[in-house]
Amino acid sequence: MSGEEEENAAELKIGDDFLKAKCLMNCEVSLILEHKYEQLQQMSDDPMNQVSQVFEKSLQYVKRFSRYKNPDAVRQVREILSRYQLAEFELCVLGNLCPETVEEAIAMVPSIKTKGRAHDDEAIDKMLNDLSLIKKFE
Amino acid sequence: MFLKVQLPWNVIIPAENLDAKGLMLQRSIVVCLLDDFAKKRATKDLGYYLAVSTLESIGEGKVRPQTGDVLFPVVFSGITFKIFRGEILEGVVHKVLKHGVLLKCGPIENIYLSSLKMPGYRYVPGENPVFLNDKTSKIGKDVAVRFIVLGTKWLEAEREFQALVSLEGDYLGPVS
Repeated sequence: MSGEEEENAAELKIGDDFLKAKCLMNCEVSLILEHKYEQLQQMSDDPMNQVSQVFEKSLQYVKRFSRYKNPDAVRQVREILSRYQLAEFELCVLGNLCPETVEEAIAMVPSIKTKGRAHDDEAIDKMLNDLSLIKKFE
Repeated sequence: MFLKVQLPWNVIIPAENLDAKGLMLQRSIVVCLLDDFAKKRATKDLGYYLAVSTLESIGEGKVRPQTGDVLFPVVFSGITFKIFRGEILEGVVHKVLKHGVLLKCGPIENIYLSSLKMPGYRYVPGENPVFLNDKTSKIGKDVAVRFIVLGTKWLEAEREFQALVSLEGDYLGPVS
């Protein structure tokens, strides 16, 4: 009945609210949370006691699953992916999983190949190439 | 997926914290908001509440009758984490059971990958039990795994999400 039952991120059905919402890549979240944590460290001797469990677990997670650590590289990843007419959600999945081949990229984000969208294999290949260059020069 | 959301919120400042004006009042509002935010933990719609990033606006305070507390409507931006059906994510195995493994991903710890959804893998018992396949891929404790989300469930009482995930699909499985 509700949109919820049809939710399927693979087809980019995640609800209108979320489609418009800004998504964040793991590496972006990592920068934000680490900055917050440093601020707390300056104010208290035991910063881990000051943060919620949700914060602590998320920080651990994004530290392990960030492909890019350097703030400039993180900014460039978003800039490059923004040139390819992707939904916010798709952009972040690509930035998080860093697929190496066109086939892998389509498996991770099947919605980029749906009808009426302008992504041919060549465009996707160029996008992945740009991404791997950032990683190389980080 | 981590989301950047803008949320309206009502902050209630107790009457006894109201004597100071200006900056001190703003400080009380921020402290109160951060406290409420951490306590809220998660909601069904937006997922887990991670952090407040900026306070966008503070509306006009309204005095509440009887108590004398003042309610301030505020708007702020924050970060949340929500898991979607069909989404592909990476997580870490934290428990190996006979019939599957439990993974954690961001703030969520109850992510179940059943052995029925790990085609080609078989359970190998021992002190450190693992799931192995013919290509010597290993799924054991602390291994990172890429999976697809089959379904999610919100538990209102615990304010937690649970998810069922699968490895059926291309490019899914343990990652180095």
